[in-house]
Amino acid sequence: MGLSTATTAVSEAIQLCVFDSRRGQQEGQELDKILFFYPADLPFTKQLYIIGLSEGLITFTRTFSPEAACEVIEAEKHSHVFFEAEQDIWMVLVVEKNKELEAIWRIDALQKLLKEIHSLFLMFHGSIRLLLEKEPTGEVSRSHLYSFIMDYLNDFLVGKKLHLPSFTDCLKERGTVQMLTIGRDAALDVQALVRTLDSCIGNTSCHSLILFQDLLVSTTLSPDDTTNLFSYAVLRLIPRVLSSGASSWSYLIRGNVASHVGQHGGNVGNRVIRPLQHGKWSKGKDGFLETDIWGMEASGWVGSTPKIWLFQTEEQMCLYVHQHKTLTLILLVPVSSIPNGEQGVSIVRQYILENASLKIVKVEEKLSKGWGGENAYHVGGYRYLLVDGDRQISRASPPGKVTTLAKESLLAMSKLRENVDLEKSRAKQDSDGEEKELEVTIRAKNNAWVISRITRGKELYMALEKANETLLYASDMVEKFSNRYCNGAFSLD
Amino acid sequence: MSGRPSRLQPGAGLSKSSALSHVYIQYPPLRCRIPGSRGLFFDDGNKLLICPILDQIFSWKTVPFNPAVAYTSDTITEGPILSVRYSLDLKIIAIQRSSHEIQFLIRETGQTFSQKCRQESESILGFFWTDCPLCNIVFVKTSGLDLFAYSSDSKSLHLVESKKLNVSCYAYTHESRLVLMASGLQCKTFHGFQLSAAGIVRLPKFEMTMAKSDANSKPVLAIEDVFIITVYGRIYCLQVDRLAMLLHTYRFYRDAVVQQGSLPIYSSSIAVSVVDNVLLVHQVDAKVVILYDIFTDSRAPISAPLPLLSRGFPGPNIDVRSSKQDNATLEDDAVPDEAIVYGDGWKFLVPDLICDHVNKLVWKIHIDLEAIASSSSEVPSLLEFLQRRKLEVSKAKQLCLTLTRTTILEHRPVASVAKAIEVLISSYIRTTKVGPNNKESKTDRSQSVVPQDSGSGPVPGSNNRDSAAGVESEALHRTSIFPSSDSEENADIKQLNTVPGNHQSIVEAQASSSQYQHLGPGCIRLNDDVSDEGSMISSPSISPDEMYSFVFAPIEEEIVGDPSYLLAIIIEFLRRVNMEKIKVNPNIYVLTVQILARNERYTEIGLFVHQKILEPSKEVALQLLESGRHNFPTRKLGLDMLRQLSLHHDYVSLLVQDGYYLEALRYTRKFKVDTVRPALFLQAAFATNDPQLLSAVLRFLSDLTPGIKHTSDYIRYHQILTEMNSCASA
Repeated sequence: MGLSTATTAVSEAIQLCVFDSRRGQQEGQELDKILFFYPADLPFTKQLYIIGLSEGLITFTRTFSPEAACEVIEAEKHSHVFFEAEQDIWMVLVVEKNKELEAIWRIDALQKLLKEIHSLFLMFHGSIRLLLEKEPTGEVSRSHLYSFIMDYLNDFLVGKKLHLPSFTDCLKERGTVQMLTIGRDAALDVQALVRTLDSCIGNTSCHSLILFQDLLVSTTLSPDDTTNLFSYAVLRLIPRVLSSGASSWSYLIRGNVASHVGQHGGNVGNRVIRPLQHGKWSKGKDGFLETDIWGMEASGWVGSTPKIWLFQTEEQMCLYVHQHKTLTLILLVPVSSIPNGEQGVSIVRQYILENASLKIVKVEEKLSKGWGGENAYHVGGYRYLLVDGDRQISRASPPGKVTTLAKESLLAMSKLRENVDLEKSRAKQDSDGEEKELEVTIRAKNNAWVISRITRGKELYMALEKANETLLYASDMVEKFSNRYCNGAFSLD
Repeated sequence: MSGRPSRLQPGAGLSKSSALSHVYIQYPPLRCRIPGSRGLFFDDGNKLLICPILDQIFSWKTVPFNPAVAYTSDTITEGPILSVRYSLDLKIIAIQRSSHEIQFLIRETGQTFSQKCRQESESILGFFWTDCPLCNIVFVKTSGLDLFAYSSDSKSLHLVESKKLNVSCYAYTHESRLVLMASGLQCKTFHGFQLSAAGIVRLPKFEMTMAKSDANSKPVLAIEDVFIITVYGRIYCLQVDRLAMLLHTYRFYRDAVVQQGSLPIYSSSIAVSVVDNVLLVHQVDAKVVILYDIFTDSRAPISAPLPLLSRGFPGPNIDVRSSKQDNATLEDDAVPDEAIVYGDGWKFLVPDLICDHVNKLVWKIHIDLEAIASSSSEVPSLLEFLQRRKLEVSKAKQLCLTLTRTTILEHRPVASVAKAIEVLISSYIRTTKVGPNNKESKTDRSQSVVPQDSGSGPVPGSNNRDSAAGVESEALHRTSIFPSSDSEENADIKQLNTVPGNHQSIVEAQASSSQYQHLGPGCIRLNDDVSDEGSMISSPSISPDEMYSFVFAPIEEEIVGDPSYLLAIIIEFLRRVNMEKIKVNPNIYVLTVQILARNERYTEIGLFVHQKILEPSKEVALQLLESGRHNFPTRKLGLDMLRQLSLHHDYVSLLVQDGYYLEALRYTRKFKVDTVRPALFLQAAFATNDPQLLSAVLRFLSDLTPGIKHTSDYIRYHQILTEMNSCASA
């Protein structure tokens, strides 16, 4: 097979590239296509080979399916996962297949990873296409993409090796939000706080996101924007991350980036914003998080205001993060409505301190009191994942509990999910928006029940070990769970 | 009661003059001109105005106040008259003939008898009838109190008890059942007794405060400068300190008299009235009146001093606006100067009447809630004030609603609107706790007014306790003191509003139609249904449902632009209501969904539904379905809510409507929903033109529904299926 791109180097077990198929159309200019490549030190010939192959596959599959070209190509030794981030801008992840267990991937999970990278990039830098249009040489885009993706991948680095989500993560769903369940009392208090935050600058439509530890409490953003901001907050802003601070910082990668940017960029005037860099946020005395990611003000300690793009409205927003104990408040104010730059910024902060402080303290107290600890959402006997696709929300057994599952169960679950993913994507293409229902209950080799239920946009996956052997028992367990925790959404029969 | 904001009140040229006064007297007065009158007396026990002539006495009831009331007359023997009081059952008239003799006339028989005291050592200062169980009448003498019981058999009084005291002068009001007796050189040492239906309470001796001009001067306290008033079921004594220009207030507890601070005065002559628990301090020389609501500890006046106004004065082409001008012309017209405010002959009667001895008239004092409301910008405290009103309940309520609407429409800060809502909800909670009869059905309402007002007493009591002693005595006072006649006063208001309002409302009707548009503080208008419905509600408190119907719903139509503000207010409202665990009408939730959906804030709808901020109900579910026409996840929220509420029929119908036949059928089987017609499923399955689906549905139904095979629907669709199949195979 011609797909045997793998070399023996361990570091090449995983390759990730971003390319623009509109660029470098002429012979000899193919390098221009490449916007990002990991590992960066792979010889250009090999980089070009992978990109050429991917492009070829895309063109080929387009002839059958013009709207959705290939998603994945399984070769003998590699899987190629495709994600068309923007029109003609592709992200391709090549993972090596080997006998090691960690190398058992679920394609959809990998695609979600690519999607997350892109969504976060969009949030901070705007679309790649736009960047390229602004600066046709692509140097700025490359340096942005490079530092951004490297900072992102840094989280997956164990030693020198990238550990991408594998079958052990089958009871997790990337690109969803985890929510804190709160009572009506607390919810109303939170909403009162949200209203105060949203009215911080007159009638302008501000948005806010409130997190308790790593769980979402409230949002006024669209599901997509909520997911992006939530993911970012959990990665870089929540108290747990702040306190762990710079310790996880890898000097190896930093060295790489520096050399790379120097080599490619050369354009000193254009600062590269690296929002995913570790240890760049710190909590100030007034509870606001400070960062110098967006540069320093000439005046001194206050960093330039962080700004992000909203996906839904394509509006640029100033980002304020305030933290009180376990509560993280993220406030977004349209850049256009902040009148006099930094002065306006401090006005917003002042407003929040004056008007919302008391409410923040109260809400934090109330939520802390009602919080059941990190195992709050554990349900005895079950290992589950619950996904609400409409709202992009998921809830799962706590990771500590999932690790108690046997490898066989996890493998079976991963396999099941793989099939369900396939079924789902087929259904999506077939029907006109009508949602299919699905019910799968499998007895795994180790006698565990591995179950999947899909109904009207909601998905439930669960693994039951040490369970009774009858199918009746298994469906009874699902029914109980559904009635108790899902308002009966899965107990149709 | 109508909450439509655009509806205007008829009635009352009131608002024209509202900027000028907060207190007014309404023309016509009660006239008691009897030729040969020998003075006017007021019997506050029976609220009777009494006018004796040589051999007759005439009396007019002042409660309910009706200027057209007819007098009753009794024949008496001739002789001097110092004072007249009817017994509380109105059977006996007591006439003080001299400082030593009181004569009694039994009205039924015309019999008389007399009670005298020792000529040399003592004299009678006055007397009053009492409903104290021990005695019927009390003489206040220079040597103390004599308590007599009347025996109808022997037609005579016998002494029950004597309280020995030196008394130089005394004050008594029937309303408080409290007699205060002054002694000492300066007349500033006071002894007090309360003789109520609950028994006799002796108050501790206390001294009143008097400023001195220098060390040696000893000003003497005149009894005219001491007032006993009853507000919110509490008894206070007010004392004018002429030198310090202060009005000292003392509050009576069962075992203590506590000075409660002082109010400044601006006139050497002071009179005091109480209207609907509002204290009116008339600065007679300055011809203005200052209003205080001494419910709270605050001693700040409700509003700036303004003149007392006379309203509704008739005359040729007279616009009743300005009393001063009109008075000038009126005097020329030889119309008696009835309308001169603070005239020389004015005497202020307890609690809210003015007796004009010169013109032989009685006026009743009113406060103008509308005017007060429009002159204050402190909305929360204003609402508190209005919520405490008991007389013009409906008007107070309407004013509260209007004020709340206005503050929201004016986009006042959320915090202050929240405070206003807080006031209204707390007040509602109090009334529901104090007077359960508030929530009675409509048919019972008119009756419930009486127990509400006289029985449970003033709203407050329960939450304003200064001390343990206070609690105790308050309870006592409430039972024993609270004026029994108040319930009648309610009725009186009703009449007042109908009687003089009639001709004015006609005048006003034309001018008023467009006035709601500008809700400036000067023209706060309300739906004045007082006259016809005033007696229907017993408290101005506003239930959460009324908040929806009369505040949120009307406002939602008017408010423009960004909905965040209204949303913030609704959240504050729900929060407050939730704290009290009050169930609210689903309409408010429906409204919330509408607002959010209109602005495409679907994420928040989802959040609100999941966090149960919007309580599940069929109304909300249907609104979610409606709002979800352009947002499928929202529609699903509605469906899910129907399912959670076990509204099986609606749920199944909607599933079918959305094309989920099999799910619907399974659900039908599971929950044994038998209200959905099988034809609905068959029709839907047929519409897909898929024989497989149709056959599945047929099969399903035949398993599920016994006997369906013989129904026409089944046979028909079975036929169709056979045809479809044969077509397919051919």
